[in-house]
Amino acid sequence: MSRLSFLFREALVNLRRNALVVIGAVLAVFLSMGLAFAAIGVNEILRINTLAWQDGTHVMAFFKEESEGGMAAEAQIGLTQEVNGWEEVKEASYVDKAAAYLEFQQLFADRPDFVSAVDPATIPSSIRIKLNEISSWRDVQFRLQAMPTFQRVTTLGDQIDQLSSLSQGLRLAGLGLSLVLGTAAVILIANTIRMAIYARRDEVAIMKLVGASNWFIRVPFLLEGLIEGVLGAGLAVLTVWILFRNLAGAGEAIRLFTFDIDPGFFLSWGTAFVLFGAAAGVLGSLVGLSRYLREADGGRTAGAV
Amino acid sequence: MIRLQDVTKVYEGGTVAARDVSLDIQRGEFVFLVGASGSGKSTLIRLMLRQEPVTRGNLWVAGKDITKLPDWKVPYLRRSIGTVFQDFKLLPNKTVLENVAFALEVLGRPRGVIKTQVEQVLDLVGLGDKHARFPRQLSGGEQQRVSIARAFVNRPPILLADEPTGNLDPATSVGIMKLLDRINRTGTTIVMATHDHAIVDAMQRRVVALDRGKVVRDQATGRYEAVFMAGAGDRPADAEAPEEAVAPAEAVVRLETGEEE
Repeated sequence: MSRLSFLFREALVNLRRNALVVIGAVLAVFLSMGLAFAAIGVNEILRINTLAWQDGTHVMAFFKEESEGGMAAEAQIGLTQEVNGWEEVKEASYVDKAAAYLEFQQLFADRPDFVSAVDPATIPSSIRIKLNEISSWRDVQFRLQAMPTFQRVTTLGDQIDQLSSLSQGLRLAGLGLSLVLGTAAVILIANTIRMAIYARRDEVAIMKLVGASNWFIRVPFLLEGLIEGVLGAGLAVLTVWILFRNLAGAGEAIRLFTFDIDPGFFLSWGTAFVLFGAAAGVLGSLVGLSRYLREADGGRTAGAV
Repeated sequence: MIRLQDVTKVYEGGTVAARDVSLDIQRGEFVFLVGASGSGKSTLIRLMLRQEPVTRGNLWVAGKDITKLPDWKVPYLRRSIGTVFQDFKLLPNKTVLENVAFALEVLGRPRGVIKTQVEQVLDLVGLGDKHARFPRQLSGGEQQRVSIARAFVNRPPILLADEPTGNLDPATSVGIMKLLDRINRTGTTIVMATHDHAIVDAMQRRVVALDRGKVVRDQATGRYEAVFMAGAGDRPADAEAPEEAVAPAEAVVRLETGEEE
């Protein structure tokens, strides 16, 4: 117990004595981990929005007017039921002219002059389709376009495809960035510890002279690295969380896109990041110490002939 | 207590610092290692501490052949050896008390034991009233006393001293030698490398003289000057002439059994 408290005291003294170097290391870890955490956050926003878009209507097919060679309303309902039976379709719903006009009115509620200028009869009825697999949107669109009863078939497939590939790319980039920045954090901590050891080399030499084991010498430096890693990563998580919360508030104004990330995401990833920071700190310290302690041991083979 | 058997140390580049050195040092002995600069005195101390590996031969310290000692056991070896150096090797940011306690903290001794032992040893070296001072607030002699206190606080059976009076004036050196003599009288084996003629001559202890890594003289109660007389044949022609012994200092240094400063 006395030994543990001594080691902890030594670590705190180290931190206090090398305050400037420690602040540098904490900031470096903060920046690298912050960027990596933000990259994961952005990726999550994209994932949530892709999912939201995927959950909506994927294909809309607008019927021609009966006068232009289109079907009667009853036949349109029949066709909708037929489409509902397609393998790719999860759900197909019929929106008649009245419902479409009501939707139009709601959509442009803030522009009554525009609404009053539009003749309800010109608003087409349509089939709204949700797909089982978003990737099948091309097939469904092709089949619908081949039917002469439709005047226009629209889909969000292209946008969803773009968003999916962007999300995929960003996910890979985020992973790569996290790896690079994580490695940078380890190297930065290793360098800081090396500087701390250099500043305390006389002390370490004396510790070795009085019979301290390498592990006894290591522990205060490992604690120092651990504290630096946890502080840097903790600050990064906190800052990114605050940033995303503010972004979520701002995002309420943009209806198409949501910035609202589940707090559980921050909790689980934040914990993982702090743990990674701690591990990076310990690993950095081990790397920084190993070479010095090997050299301080007198280079076991240096003089051998 | 310490035994060297045909010990040779060759540094990288081929410099031979110890050449077939054989020595037996018994428990409780006080041995001076003397010789010119580069004669191999400090190398022998470093070999005994396992700060350097032996190139050839065997070296036993406190009953262990340290040439075969695995690295992880070296700290345990060093716990049975106290060390004192010319440059004191004190930690500038720790007080006298903390510097001495450091040697026990490293060993994981309980706080109560540390307090008692540190107080005792500081009283022994005469610094009980200066325990809260920092090294920079002490004279050279006082700093060396702290260093000796740290070396002895763990009551090691062996104390190795490399030029402990090298940075001190003759009068202060006397005090340090008296202290080492007192420690030796407790049964601690002391091996001391030194250039100080007066101290060696006054102490009248065993003298092992080295010249270019070889033992050229080993006398139970020797004098410094005899090094060069006995080893004259081995001495290089361009070597420095031995310094004159300082007679007044010798007179002051002469220690009698149990004598106090």
